[in-house]
Amino acid sequence: MRTTSTRIAGGALALVALAAAAGCANRGGAAEDPADYPNGDITLVVPYQAGGASDLAARTLASEMEETLGQTIVVENRTGGAGSVGLQHLAGQPADGYTIGYLPVETVMLGFQGYDVDPADYDLIGQMVSVPATIAVPSDSPYKTLEDLLEAAEKKPGEVTVANSGAGSIWEAATRELGQTGGAEFQPVPFDGGAPAVTAAVGGQVDAVVAGISETAPAHQDGRLRVLAVLAEERSESLADVPTAGEEGVDVVIGGWGGIGAPTGLPEEVATTLRDAFATAAASEEFTTVITDSGNLPVNVPADEYAAFVESETARFDKLLTDGS
Amino acid sequence: MSPLVEGFGALLDPTVALCIAGGALLGMLVGAFPGVTATMAVALASGFTLALDPIPGLAVLLTIYVSANFGDRIPAILINTPGTPASIATTFDGYAMARQGKAGLAMTASAFASAWGTLVGIVLLMVAAIPLSQLALRFGPAEMFALVVFGLTMMIGVSGGRIVKGLMAGVLGLLLGAIGRDPITGAARFTFGVPELSEGIPFIAAIIGLFGIAEVLDQILTHRASAVKPVTQFGRWFPTRGDWRRMLRPLAVGSGVGGAVGIVPATGGDIAGILGWDQARRVSKRPEEFGSGSLEGITAADTSSNATLGGSVTTTLALGIPGDSVMAVMIGSMVVWGIQPGPSLFAEQPALVYSIAGIMLVATVLTLGISLLRMRGVAKLLELPPHFLWAVILVFCMVGTYAVGNNVFDVVVMLVFGLVGLFLRRFGVPAGPVVLGLLLGELAEGNLRRALEIGGVGNIVSSPIAMTILAVSILALVVPPVRAGLKRRRASRATASAGEGR
Repeated sequence: MRTTSTRIAGGALALVALAAAAGCANRGGAAEDPADYPNGDITLVVPYQAGGASDLAARTLASEMEETLGQTIVVENRTGGAGSVGLQHLAGQPADGYTIGYLPVETVMLGFQGYDVDPADYDLIGQMVSVPATIAVPSDSPYKTLEDLLEAAEKKPGEVTVANSGAGSIWEAATRELGQTGGAEFQPVPFDGGAPAVTAAVGGQVDAVVAGISETAPAHQDGRLRVLAVLAEERSESLADVPTAGEEGVDVVIGGWGGIGAPTGLPEEVATTLRDAFATAAASEEFTTVITDSGNLPVNVPADEYAAFVESETARFDKLLTDGS
Repeated sequence: MSPLVEGFGALLDPTVALCIAGGALLGMLVGAFPGVTATMAVALASGFTLALDPIPGLAVLLTIYVSANFGDRIPAILINTPGTPASIATTFDGYAMARQGKAGLAMTASAFASAWGTLVGIVLLMVAAIPLSQLALRFGPAEMFALVVFGLTMMIGVSGGRIVKGLMAGVLGLLLGAIGRDPITGAARFTFGVPELSEGIPFIAAIIGLFGIAEVLDQILTHRASAVKPVTQFGRWFPTRGDWRRMLRPLAVGSGVGGAVGIVPATGGDIAGILGWDQARRVSKRPEEFGSGSLEGITAADTSSNATLGGSVTTTLALGIPGDSVMAVMIGSMVVWGIQPGPSLFAEQPALVYSIAGIMLVATVLTLGISLLRMRGVAKLLELPPHFLWAVILVFCMVGTYAVGNNVFDVVVMLVFGLVGLFLRRFGVPAGPVVLGLLLGELAEGNLRRALEIGGVGNIVSSPIAMTILAVSILALVVPPVRAGLKRRRASRATASAGEGR
């Protein structure tokens, strides 16, 4: 009796485990004919962990796109290699519209940092999020304006410490660009993630921090940090009292962004379907509300404009990351 | 109405009760599934809970967080595989106890210790969140470096008496920790062009391999020689009065260590568990039992790793800075709900803080109840013939590890570390120090380099906290051998004088 029941239990367990394994591997039998696209589940590859800002943007957009496309979009977090693992995976998938992916700003940076990632490997669908960089100081800092900080870094080159989320991150690049344009030399201090970097500034361990607006705005509002400038073209709604760097005389516009892309060679009708669904989703109230609440900037940039932007970003990081670093 | 009444009262809603119950079951399951961490479960659940109101939503997420830290003890005790990194230290004594036929006692003690640790953390959150969080802000790179150095002194403790082999294992761990991109310059080190290695050795895959896979491989290779007996006996479940008395001291030590580590941002149950275990060993009357099935060891480890939960929530709510990776995910949800963690939260929404503490309290009690109930069911599982069990464990470990990043590379790393673990085991080298080196080496290097970037050596020397911790680390290394030497000398003098008297 006992052995039979335990055998059955064992067999059932193994089956469950195998089913789980099979579930992970199942791609769904998608039809190949582009004319009746979409006809099956669509996979959206996110190169970062579930729960982060990129994941939130991708998942929210996906659930809106599902409504237009009438198909399920399965979000798949493929992490590792600073995002390169997921991006490479995406580039290697068939260009049939059944695998699309979240493209972060790192798509144009990683190629200059020794990773095998090339923005030319993706057909762009559209850009939906923008994360302007901000520079902030502890609330008791002697530096009241961006000019103060730049002046100090000019007088004592390499002594003004500026925290960022990690070596090779967009915020480290932003620090460098801000210094170069402002004629000053900061000492970037890479931390292990954005939160520890902001903490170091709140705790006064560093002179300043460069981070995304969603990370610094809450601390600015309750007085733990003072954001000196937003590195964007326009002031931000959540930081209406903070000037842009341009207003302060340093013309730097830089930040993180996120969009949707697919492997190159997407059939024209599939691309059009996806781009239309994208535009509707990115304009939806649900999407704009969630992204605004999370502290970032919802945008709705169509594919051609996005492509031009990606090209100019590639040129910028080629310059910023290959010389002098 | 006082915020306490209002905050706890908000939990009387049946929806909230349902959310807590659902979260508890889900949390225990993901905890018990090696590879699937609380972070991942909370992240995936947050996709659904965003549609709920804040309190029911938080009830699901916080309960998963709490109960995953109970569930992960089960595989740690029964199959030597930490369900999440927070139960690494549970394996040290838990599995040894299980092999001695005391799995029942280990699991009950672990459940009570985990519950006690969580409660201590919650009390800390309720009474002293603001002052404690101010202390947390003082922990910059210099202080973190000192704390990690103190952690590294534990290598001797986790060597289980085999100091030379333990240190060799520790150095191996430190070297493996050097793999990946340089934390300051971003230059690739020992990555051999493999992009997956740029973030270092995947930690979860490594611990599942070193502990779980190595154990299964060992059993498969030796079962005919019947050198390794799989765990089939549970023994008695409930601690005797004598057991309870022995658990008191480790409960106290674990609470202290875990509470303190929890408050330091970005450190969690994995480090706290090992640290609590080692501190309890230092003050124990039976330190020699630690690592070979000590009730005190498992109690200290689990108390300590769970006492970090309250600390992490404290730093998160009071500073708006994630106390650990789970809280980082939870902040994302809170912000979308319009809850802005930070000092003003305590002034503006004190009721919410009490609701959060209340949810964790209910979750702890409920999960403790489930932990004590479901154990009979687990017993059935272990009656399976060993070859079924091995297959099930291997499949679950592989699926769990794959799920970490949807990457086969992680599974390969797990299997390689399984072989490394088997090799170490055959040569009598303890695996604990390897994990410690891997875990702390990266932190030590990153924080030291950051401290030096910020202000050179002066940055460390001028920090009273850092210098105190470094001094304590030196004492922790120097005092035990000196004391042992004195004892030996006294003993030999005593025998000598006894000889003279004859």
